[in-house]
Amino acid sequence: MKRLLTAALALLALLATSCGAGAVESVVDKDRIVIGVRPDLPSVGFRTADGDFEGFDVDVAGYIAAKLGKEADFIPVLASDRERVLVEGQADLVVATYTISQDRKARVLFAGPYHISYQDILVRPGETSIRNVRDLKDRRICEVQGSNAASRVLEERKVAARVLPFADYKACLAALKADQVDAITTNDIILAGLAAQDGGGMRLVNAQFNEQRTGVGLRKGDVAGCEEVNRVITGMYQDGTAAKLLKKWFGDTGLRIGTVAVPQFEGCV
Amino acid sequence: MTVTQVRPAAPPARQPPPAQALPARSGVPGRIRVLTGVAAAALALLFAAVAAGAAVAGDGMRVIGRDAGPQVVATAGLYFGLSDMDSQLADVLVMGQGNDSRRQAALTRYEQQRAMANRALLKAFELAGSDQAERRTIESVLDGLGRYEQLAARALLLDAQSGHPAGPPPTEVVRVYREATDLMRLVLLPQAYNLTLESGTIVRRTYDDKTVMLPALRWAVVVAGLLALVCLLRLQVYLTRHFRRVFGPALVAATVLTLVTLVVGGNVLGRDLGHLETAKSDGFDAIVTLAKARAIGNSMQGDQSRFLLDKQRADTYEHTYLDKSQKVLYREAGNLDTYHTQVARGSDDYLGMLGLRLSVATGRPALDAYTRFQAADATFRDLVAAGDTGEAVTARLGPVREAFDAYDKELTALADRHQAVFERAVGQGEAALDELWRLLPYAMGGIGLLLVAGVWPRLREYR
Repeated sequence: MKRLLTAALALLALLATSCGAGAVESVVDKDRIVIGVRPDLPSVGFRTADGDFEGFDVDVAGYIAAKLGKEADFIPVLASDRERVLVEGQADLVVATYTISQDRKARVLFAGPYHISYQDILVRPGETSIRNVRDLKDRRICEVQGSNAASRVLEERKVAARVLPFADYKACLAALKADQVDAITTNDIILAGLAAQDGGGMRLVNAQFNEQRTGVGLRKGDVAGCEEVNRVITGMYQDGTAAKLLKKWFGDTGLRIGTVAVPQFEGCV
Repeated sequence: MTVTQVRPAAPPARQPPPAQALPARSGVPGRIRVLTGVAAAALALLFAAVAAGAAVAGDGMRVIGRDAGPQVVATAGLYFGLSDMDSQLADVLVMGQGNDSRRQAALTRYEQQRAMANRALLKAFELAGSDQAERRTIESVLDGLGRYEQLAARALLLDAQSGHPAGPPPTEVVRVYREATDLMRLVLLPQAYNLTLESGTIVRRTYDDKTVMLPALRWAVVVAGLLALVCLLRLQVYLTRHFRRVFGPALVAATVLTLVTLVVGGNVLGRDLGHLETAKSDGFDAIVTLAKARAIGNSMQGDQSRFLLDKQRADTYEHTYLDKSQKVLYREAGNLDTYHTQVARGSDDYLGMLGLRLSVATGRPALDAYTRFQAADATFRDLVAAGDTGEAVTARLGPVREAFDAYDKELTALADRHQAVFERAVGQGEAALDELWRLLPYAMGGIGLLLVAGVWPRLREYR
């Protein structure tokens, strides 16, 4: 009789504790997490000569890991790798100017956005005829592989710019300086970072024509992880860290920082 | 955790079990005491399991039904009120001179929405309880709202002084409005929206937790109940053998009552699990989704007025309009024209927030209303593109707004249906638990007394 009782209680305890085992292992259940950041975007996510990562995204990623109470390892991810590293499990989080979109949401889960940026235009210092996206009509702009920024000018805004392909933003910037293109258009913080690193006086137009919600990528199904990251992001704005980091990285790049407030989250489902 | 709280103190102290070798006659009272003790312990376990199950289910019902559920309604109402204040303001600023009755109607609606937002804020604050992060967020919205109203008042005053025709107001008015709308859209609305999401998080966690614990506790009720029945039967068999009575009525009654407790307890817990599932899946989840969709919809139609009002930012507002449309009902489209065409063509397999909900029969009226709203938007944008600003303003304030209101009404009707399901499930779940809590002490007391009544006379024979 006594044994039966013990067995029944043991069974109960077993049932009660086996609740954590879901289909996807959540980042909240790990002690060490791997975070994918960009290696190629100065001031945003950039690998320095000694192999460390630095930039706004890197600081945000570090803050999130710390608040989640995790040790973090960073790995470099380029624009075209972001989805793959999550799906294949090489990274637990991706904090790499990852714009939330309905297509991407079919394959990855987004926490945040942790930052709202805008599509903007970078021009040579003497260029005054480009003030907004419409002024790009018949002008040469560069298109970087894996980015849809140029096609958004053509398709979404229906501005007939002339698009020239380049491998990356570095090549784009060189082309801008050499007068091979008239403007670079993409996420404003990427442009601000490029201009600041270059130091050649390239000017941000501050046209702010497309809102871009930059989120934290997680594996699809990690709802608990996503909710926890959202809480951390809320805290990051409430404790002033977000404003501090934006000022640290973009304070004197000519980027209009504007209102710093918790963005409207995407929701974890 | 709850198990230890509700479970009565250790089972009644038992005498050491009599050794087999003892003379049969003198071992009888000891044996009766042991059997009674074990039966009492098993019964205690049964009651503990029922009570723990009821406590867990009750906690789930309270969090989902009384805290998070109403909080979603409050924060969604807050979002809606705030968002509509900003679009009413934009409407007034684009309508220009000579639209006095319209202007008055929009201002009245602005005031109504402000009052609604204030009430929702108070309610949300009350429901936030001791959650510090939530309270900070609500306080921040409250502060921001005061600043917003000041800016709105200034924009309205400047607008009235300028006396401009229908269409974009002078730069000075736009500048003040920009400050106001940025505060609203970038600071206040996200916080209200995130509060709704946070309630969703609380519900999901509670639900996941309870749906693991409740079935386990239900099993515990069954196991403990069967154990108690076996013990009671064993006791009766023993008494029958040693006292040559066919059965003792008190013990039979105790056994029957135990069986009833087992069946009723297990049944109520099972049904409550069902009610919890219904409240969550058919009620809460749908309510949250529809609340989010209504919130986004309202800011979408505000973007139409803002698109008219602020020429410099028109591209951005058109983009956010498309972005929000795709969030609600997704069709692949690189620009707004393509999206309009896609929606007009109709589809049964929309993705996006409302994709699934509106593809079923009950969602059909809402989907049709949405299609009409997007068609009205297409006409409105054509007027703007053709430079017919006055016509565009009239369209925006007339047919477009009406089409939006009709669509929003359909969503509200859907939400009301789910709200009713939600309230019914929570009500039934709570009623069943109340009944259980009411009966449990009687069952406990009754069975205890019957057990004593069945055993005591036999033990007395040994005095």
